[in-house]
Formats: sequence, C-alpha cells, structure tokens
Amino acid sequence: MTRRDLIHKWFFYALGLLPVWLLDACILPRFPLFGTIPMLLPLAAAAVAVLEGAYAGAGFGLAVGLWWETAYPGGFGGLVFGLTLAGLIMGHLSQYVLRQSFPGYLLCSAGLLAALDALRIVRGLITHSAGLGAMLQVAVPEVLWSLVWSPLVWLLFQRIYRRVGGTRLA
Amino acid sequence: MKNFLRKNGILLLVIALLLSILIGVSSSLLGGNADPLSNVVSTITAPVRSGVAAVAGWAEGVYQYVFQYGQIQEELSDLRAQVAELEDQVRQGQEASRENEQLRQLLDLQERRRDFVFESARVTARSTTNWESTLTLDKGSAADVEAGDCVVTETGVLVGVVSDVGLNWSTVSTVINTDIEMGGIVSRTYSAGILEGNFELMSQGRLRLSYLPEGAQLVAGDEVLTSGRGDVYPSGLVVGQVEGVFTDPSGQSRYAVIVPEAQLDSLIEVFVIKDFDIVE
Repeated sequence: MTRRDLIHKWFFYALGLLPVWLLDACILPRFPLFGTIPMLLPLAAAAVAVLEGAYAGAGFGLAVGLWWETAYPGGFGGLVFGLTLAGLIMGHLSQYVLRQSFPGYLLCSAGLLAALDALRIVRGLITHSAGLGAMLQVAVPEVLWSLVWSPLVWLLFQRIYRRVGGTRLA
Repeated sequence: MKNFLRKNGILLLVIALLLSILIGVSSSLLGGNADPLSNVVSTITAPVRSGVAAVAGWAEGVYQYVFQYGQIQEELSDLRAQVAELEDQVRQGQEASRENEQLRQLLDLQERRRDFVFESARVTARSTTNWESTLTLDKGSAADVEAGDCVVTETGVLVGVVSDVGLNWSTVSTVINTDIEMGGIVSRTYSAGILEGNFELMSQGRLRLSYLPEGAQLVAGDEVLTSGRGDVYPSGLVVGQVEGVFTDPSGQSRYAVIVPEAQLDSLIEVFVIKDFDIVE
C-alpha cells in the first residue's frame, strides 16, 4: 500500500467520523431520551479497531481521543491514552479472540463504554462527588442508550471498510 | 526494536501518553483558559456548532408554530394579561421610587445602583455528557468574556458561570452543575446559605442551598437570589425557588432543594455579565 493509498484510506475514515461527531456533539444533546445522551465516539473507535485490527485501531483510537479532548469541553488528556489503549486491545481481541463481525464489535463497544463509565465512577467515588447508586443511575442508561446507536455506526464504518479498508487500495 | 514497537502499537501508546500528559498539564496550568490545541480545534469547529444550532433553532420554531399554535396563542393571551398587570405595578413603583429618592436626598444617603456590562451570546451546544451540565456559547476571549463571569437570561435569571474560555467560544457551568458554589439568600427571610450543584440533584434539574441557619423558616416557593458575598458574583440575581427543606444525612445542618428559574434545556440567547458595580 502506497503512502497515497494510506492517506486516501484514513481520509475516508476521518470523513466517517464527521457525521458521528455532528450527531454526538451537536444534535443528540438537544434531544435526550429520558434525560440521557448517548456516547458515539467510543463506538466509532471500536468499529475501526474491530475492522482494521490492533495497530490501525490504536491509531484511530488516538485520533478519536485527541478529537474528544480538544473539541469537547472539560478535557484533561486521559482520553487520548485511554482510547489508544482501547483500540489496541479491541483490535487484538477481534483478531485473535472474537470475530471481525457485528457481534464482536458489539461486545467491544459494550466493554469500552462500560470501562469509560467505570473510570468515571471510580473518580467520583475517590473525590466523594456522588454516591455509587446515583452514578450507576447515570452510567447504565448511558451505556444502553449508546449501544442502541451501535448498528448505525457499524454500518457507516463497515461501508467505508468495504470501499477502502484493509489493503484494498494496494 | 523499532519494528517491534511499531508492529505492536507500543510507539502509538507512547505518543498517546505524551499527548495526554501535554493536554493535562497545559489545561491545568491555564486554569479557565482553554489549552492551545483545544482552542484551535474548538475555534475551527465553532462555526459548525453555530450552524447546527441555527438550523435546529429554526426547525424547533417551525415545529412549535405548526404543532403548538393553540398553545402559543394561549400563552400570548396570558402574557398580555401579565403585561397589563405589570404595567400597573410599574406605575405604582415609579411613584414609590420618586418618594424613595426624595427620602434618600433628605437623609443624604448614597443612591443604590446596579451597573452591569453585558455581552449577548447564543447557545451553540448543550452538555455532551450525562455527567455534567454545561452550555457552549458563541462568544469568548475575543469579546472579553472571562472565566468566572455570570451568565443570565434576558430577564436577569442566573443561568450559570463561565468555566472555560476560548477565542470565539466559552463553556458555561449551569447552576445545577456539580462545580457550582456561590452565596445564596432567600429573599423573603434573608436566610443565607451556599448554593451548590449536587450530582444526585443534577439529573432532576435541581441544586441545593446548603448550610441554612438553624432558625430559617423557609416554605416552598420562596425566591432564592445570589447574595454577592465576597464580591466575586453580583448580588440579587434570581436563581430559583425553594422546593423543599431537608436535613443533611449527618443531621447537623439543613439544606433546601432549589428549582432553577432558568429553563436550561431551551435557552437560545443569554447575556454574559462581563463587569458589574453594585452599590446597596
């Protein structure tokens, strides 16, 4: 695969991230379901990691993490490393343990969303900012409502993968 | 070695770790100002957010006009009745302030005044997470907006406090967000307390007025204002109404649950108080 092909491929993946970001940051927060807003960016990171494997998944995770930290308010930097590591792990899991399919992606997405909220809960417990019950009441609907959006994100990135993914441009 | 690191993604992890540290350190050093990278990205994406907000606002307006026409008409007639009532109160008030002015002159008292420097701003985005309550505005440091500035509605009701500022955008922690802490006072009884966001109450769209004095006799519906103690925030801004009074789990102090007056989920235009001078 030439450098030009690589740029072409990742340009399309970045383009795929754009509607996901628009939905996540600008549109869905206006229409919360029972007060809950979904998290779509982790779904995008999971989709590319499952489809492209560990190394590409880590790279895309880094890009998504960087975007999350810089385009959203209140970033402290941890998501860049967190999503890179998650991309690497999910890529390895899909290559060697799970299948590179929608069920594998769904499992990876659920794991990533749960891990992100678990970290928030741990932080909340350490800083005594809220009780476990109250935080679970936010985390559980958030993970479930986010997973409802997973087929849409999967279809979007699967379409990109079928067009330019893997070594298709080579 | 280089190939091993590259192949296993270790190199990417190291880069990610360095970036995380860089963002973390710069955002903590800059306090209320956005770190340079966030500032650049948010400045570039601000027009997109504004565009989406404008389209969404227009669509909501059309929806309301088409499907809630009857309700709007009803609201209009209610508001007309309220305006007539308020006009009557203004006439009485004008008479009272003339009398007040004469008495102040007689007693040689300093005139009470409230001078605010406002900056109007549009809400371009709402909280993108369920863990905090924030708004993104289309004005930032280029319009002299600073972290710590209070944000109010067109009727002077407190919306929140600016927490993060970029070039052409700023983030507002709403009054129900967990990082809010300011002096509050109940206008009927003059009972003072601390207005603070609480995670449990945030999802219900409420906040607390904590550390109430022992003898405070509050009732549901009492109006709560900012006290302005410490001169950090202006006094007299309407925050909300008392919903109920409860005893702290420790049993040592009482707190009131406050329903904010501002409709936080439907705000379109707000005003940032960039400077204030209050003489009471």
